[in-house]
Amino acid sequence: MSVTTSKPLMQAQDGAIGSEKKAHIVRVGPTIWHWQLLTLFAFGLAWEFVARNGYIDPLFIGTPSKILKFGYVELFVTGKLVEDMLWTIAGTAISFILGSVAGIATGLLFVSVPTAERFCEPFLSAMNALPRIALAPLFLLWFGLGIGSKVALGFSLTYFIVLSSTVAGARSVDRDFLVLARTLGASPAKIFMRITLVSAVPTLFSGLRLGLIYSLLGVIAGEIISAQHGLGQQLSYLAGTFQIDGVFAVLLLLALLGSSLTYGMSALESRLIRWR
Amino acid sequence: MTSSGRIIVEGLIHSFHGKVNALQDVSFTVAPGEFVSIVGPSGCGKTTVLNIVAGLVPRERGTVTIDGRPPQAGRHDIAYMLARDCLFPWLTAQANAELGNGFRDMPKPERREHAERLLNLVGLRDFKASFPKELSHGMRQRVALARTFCMPSPFLLMDEPFGALDAQTKLQLEDLLLSLWSKERRSVIFITHDLSEAVLLSDRVIVMSARPGRIVADIPIPLERPRSVRSLQKDPRYHELYSKIWEKLEYGIFEPA
Repeated sequence: MSVTTSKPLMQAQDGAIGSEKKAHIVRVGPTIWHWQLLTLFAFGLAWEFVARNGYIDPLFIGTPSKILKFGYVELFVTGKLVEDMLWTIAGTAISFILGSVAGIATGLLFVSVPTAERFCEPFLSAMNALPRIALAPLFLLWFGLGIGSKVALGFSLTYFIVLSSTVAGARSVDRDFLVLARTLGASPAKIFMRITLVSAVPTLFSGLRLGLIYSLLGVIAGEIISAQHGLGQQLSYLAGTFQIDGVFAVLLLLALLGSSLTYGMSALESRLIRWR
Repeated sequence: MTSSGRIIVEGLIHSFHGKVNALQDVSFTVAPGEFVSIVGPSGCGKTTVLNIVAGLVPRERGTVTIDGRPPQAGRHDIAYMLARDCLFPWLTAQANAELGNGFRDMPKPERREHAERLLNLVGLRDFKASFPKELSHGMRQRVALARTFCMPSPFLLMDEPFGALDAQTKLQLEDLLLSLWSKERRSVIFITHDLSEAVLLSDRVIVMSARPGRIVADIPIPLERPRSVRSLQKDPRYHELYSKIWEKLEYGIFEPA
């Protein structure tokens, strides 16, 4: 990922400059990567050492070797964590898709009908200011312990993020582009479709990336509070029964899950907006 | 005098926010195929004049006709070019060059052909598939020139199109503009604050005074064409014309009557 984002803008007088610079970065990349891996390994070793010798009670911090073992067994032998992970992923995916679609649709409505925005703005601001986790008891009452309540929570977070980034993106359109398009004879519909919408895409994407993480957050929070399945539910069960190695294994899994979601989103983004 | 093929501006009066006098009785005519520059101190309203002709700024008083019809943004017989290249970053050079004709619903094969021909002419044969971020300033403005000249519009309105370029690139693009224009003479209004550019390119140079903007001189440039930047630098008539315009400009700035 670091390679794609730090790719230099090539001021191409000729095409060769670009490929030279790319080769340069590839040469540097693995070295940093090695050091990062080494640091992580050293940290794990130190943690193992501290826990084994009881400098800090392993009841609170676990032991890396046992954490990895727990993760391995629950993922590949019993498969219990896999099932929970699939529930969490499903919840995240549904709340992300629903939240983004609704957010983008509302955003586009606001951009094309400013009166609608002026009317809805105070209501939406109030809802957005409300800590959404506080709605969890209500959602549980409405949608039960199944997937519905956590999707509702994830949706309520994602929707506002995607909505505001859609509006901000469409507003960020370059004024001169609009002037030029008018003089070129573009109709308002063409200006909206081919300039305003396209200009909104980069900002929209950073909103979507954030929205995805917040979907995961909402779903996990919903599961922790109360649910039948999911990594959040598993997390609160493990912590409640003092299986600290299990807690850390789930946290590790969540970190990996979150990173791969972000990574996937960035990959999609750089494919779609190569012109940036 | 017939109005067909001409830009006729008569008695243009304009104010900002109904208070500041921006333009005072501006009148001039651009004949078919004539290249007219408007020079003047910054803030004299020369861009306002252009934008009124382009239909981007509503007229207050006075009349403007282009080929007998009032101004309107998006008229197909007018091409407009700004100081900024305004290339859409998400389109390749080729697609940017096709943009105007695309908005004007020219069939795809035809506008592709137009754009390719113009990109070749401006020396970007090998950069058709490049995105704007991959191009230098000068190259980007070349694409903008191609986009402008792709459109078969007999009227060309240019607002300091080379104002943001470095001196060397500017000279190259001035030569390029001359060669494009001489292939198919269009009626041009060219706004600039660069006197040598105005003399080099134009058939006539209109000098405007500081606010309120009035026309203080309308100077014909009888230098023969084809012209080139380099040969004109050695021509004494070029320097005479330059200092004549400069005098008028100074008069307009320091002694507003």
